[in-house]
Amino acid sequence: MSKLKLNLGPQHPSTHGVLRLILELEGERIISCEPDVGYLHRGMEKMAEKLSYIQYLPTVDRIDYLAGFFYSELLCRTVECALGIKLSDRVKAIRVMMLELNRIASHLLWVGAFLMDLGAVSPFFYAFREREQILQYFEKVTGQRMMNNYFIFGGVRRDVFDLEDIEKFLDILPDKIKDYNKIITENPIFRKRTKGKGILSIPTALNGGITGVNLRASGMSLDFRLRDNLYSGFDFRPVVLEEGDSFARYKARVLEIEESAKIVRQAVDYLKRGGDLEQNLINPLTIKLPQGEFESEIEAPRGLACCYIKSTGEKTAYRLKWRTGSYYSVNLLRKLLVGEYLNDAIAIAGSLDIILPEVDK
Amino acid sequence: MNYLYFLYIEFLAKHHIPQLFGDITFYIIPVCIIFAVLLVVILALVLFERKLLGWFTQRKGPNRVGIWGILQTIADAFKLLCKENITPTGVNRFLFNLAPILMFVPVLVVLGLIPYSSEFTFMNFQTNLLIYMVLAAFPVLSILLAGWASNNKYSLLGAMRNVAQVLAYELPIAFTVLSVIVLASSMNLTQIILTQSSKGGLLGWYFIPCIIGFMIMFICTLAELNRCPFDLPEAESELICGYNTEYSGMRFALFYLGEYAMLFASSLFIAVLFLGGYLSPFGKYLTSGWLLYFEQVFWLLLKSLLIIFLAIWVRATLPRFAPYDLLKFSWTVLLPISILNLFLMVIYKFITGGVYA
Amino acid sequence: MNISELKNMFADCELTTDKIIIKSNLKKTIEFVKENYGFDILKEIIATDNQDKGIELTYRLYSTDDEEDALISIFVKDEAESIVDIFDSACADEKEIYDMFGIKFIGNDELKRLYMPEDWEGHPLKKDYQDSDQRLNWNE
Repeated sequence: MSKLKLNLGPQHPSTHGVLRLILELEGERIISCEPDVGYLHRGMEKMAEKLSYIQYLPTVDRIDYLAGFFYSELLCRTVECALGIKLSDRVKAIRVMMLELNRIASHLLWVGAFLMDLGAVSPFFYAFREREQILQYFEKVTGQRMMNNYFIFGGVRRDVFDLEDIEKFLDILPDKIKDYNKIITENPIFRKRTKGKGILSIPTALNGGITGVNLRASGMSLDFRLRDNLYSGFDFRPVVLEEGDSFARYKARVLEIEESAKIVRQAVDYLKRGGDLEQNLINPLTIKLPQGEFESEIEAPRGLACCYIKSTGEKTAYRLKWRTGSYYSVNLLRKLLVGEYLNDAIAIAGSLDIILPEVDK
Repeated sequence: MNYLYFLYIEFLAKHHIPQLFGDITFYIIPVCIIFAVLLVVILALVLFERKLLGWFTQRKGPNRVGIWGILQTIADAFKLLCKENITPTGVNRFLFNLAPILMFVPVLVVLGLIPYSSEFTFMNFQTNLLIYMVLAAFPVLSILLAGWASNNKYSLLGAMRNVAQVLAYELPIAFTVLSVIVLASSMNLTQIILTQSSKGGLLGWYFIPCIIGFMIMFICTLAELNRCPFDLPEAESELICGYNTEYSGMRFALFYLGEYAMLFASSLFIAVLFLGGYLSPFGKYLTSGWLLYFEQVFWLLLKSLLIIFLAIWVRATLPRFAPYDLLKFSWTVLLPISILNLFLMVIYKFITGGVYA
Repeated sequence: MNISELKNMFADCELTTDKIIIKSNLKKTIEFVKENYGFDILKEIIATDNQDKGIELTYRLYSTDDEEDALISIFVKDEAESIVDIFDSACADEKEIYDMFGIKFIGNDELKRLYMPEDWEGHPLKKDYQDSDQRLNWNE
């Protein structure tokens, strides 16, 4: 049988942006896969060398437009760490609440998009219905639905209000997840298409730099939130599943939505007790980091995210580097897709939750 | 139909027009009627599907053009007509242009075979069921041509999938239809409907003895029409649009409308075979005289709409099959069950009325 | 992590407050650290252009058992050893560094322009990079 070279993307309905996969097919079986990225490269790291920190802050939301809070938080955290700024408890609670709401929104979108990859249309709209409530709360508080630019060095831009909206959302969420389980998880075709497909063993995952939900669905309990100062005092357990296939990755994300909802609930309970918003804001125009190297990390929805800043004492960073989870997932596709059928390959690539602005930075 | 024919010839004779003219035009007029009605029905169907899908997914569906978006599909069709017909370089022009026509024409013929009411079958042959079966499998040829002629890898993969799929799902359909033929002892669709009126009302319809066959028929029809969950040849997330990726404008419209026309024809076919066709579910008709014909058409359309509604419901619920699962499902599950069903029906027929009843 | 053992094996390493700076034997060191101290994730490779000192590559390893980081850093000019045999994820980082800093990783045969166009001149994150490309003036 002769080989067929198929150019999947960059414009293709199921590559979640502009990923290009150069596939070699034998019939419908993939014999080699080469990802080609860079269609969305915005030079985030180069920009950081030209812009002052406060000028750079609004752009970092765009690294991952579905989970912008995480990258904002990461830059703030690195700068705060360099300048030795301590956060008050209320600011911490606000940040945790926003981050986890963002994680829920991101996972919800993934559930919809993944089912879309598998050919089911309705769950996409159901997931968006729930996500909409979170985005509307974001809009209320931060003025933006996606690129929020809400965190600032030493605090947040304004205090939160209308916490009842979130409580209302958290009250309906379990019912909605029950609905998802009925229409998605218990669906025989869905199970057949995801169970045992794209199995990711722990050694392969660790070797490939896979972190986050994808790794936890393979049976490794590695959650960077556990050693994160921001999350200290919150009670939660990382979701760990054993199988490591697409189905486990789906299930882990749905379970993680529930787990995040618990954290949000705790944060809301704390915030409802009231108290003033104590911020340790600094004049953003004169920020100069001391000479040295600073690094911080956070558990983003798509795996570990790190920010590295090397400063020479100037207003701008000498070198700033981002580590993003999706980039390593794309890299893993080279090996994970070989030997799979085309339709499974789409499902497996979808199950890893790749988002292209994060890959291209 | 003979009755209508004599009326027509008589009408022409009164105005001194030769009978030859009547003989020729009598068969052209129905085609024109079918074509006109079909276009309206398809546009309504597309709207029906979009509205229903909207409601299933908690949206409003089209609601901007006209009241409740009634004119939306007409506007869409008009837009498609106005669009440029792009022929990519490197395609086989003749086959590329032929494929959409081959998709649409068989449906027109097929619709002429369906008995819409007791006096209203455009082409009433002794074996019009068989002709239906042959013509209904025709679009696969068109899809293969479109996929091959497009000079596009996605189109080719889509066409390959479609051929495998239709081959696998045509057999269970054949066995199921055979079991209906056994029950009715006829290959004429009108005759099949008439035999279902024996018990009066709903109880005589063949979906009661042949419920397994009805379900197999429904599933296989979905597969033949490339509808969800069997929409592999045009799997959006995998093959972009499958075999019609390279088509635009009117040619694309022909494919698109052809699919809906085929959905309509298939739903009518299932209604005729299993749901008593134009028969009233109450045993006797509510009206009489010339209104009766319209009532019969109404019942038939209602039944076909019910089947289309089921198909849309399935589409809103299920994800897509994998190609190998799809073939496995047909060869290992549907085919044995349909053969078993045929045997059951033969036994049933033998017990209830004898084979030559 | 016991640095003296490492020092015995590779005489040319030195320990600063937070990282191990080595001068050669990059691949061997990382392999040794992975095998013997259980550093099983390569978080990232950070490249920094330190102008006259050359380009510094910092390998951030993470141990899932001990939950600690190890930083191994090396100064290179324009060539370095590839560690794709040890960590698959290094391939991604090396591709990016090749694109942005122009460092050739010996042993990695997938190196090519990643983000920048194939015919782009220069490596953007190097400090001596000048964007002289005419294509950048498209809206003037």
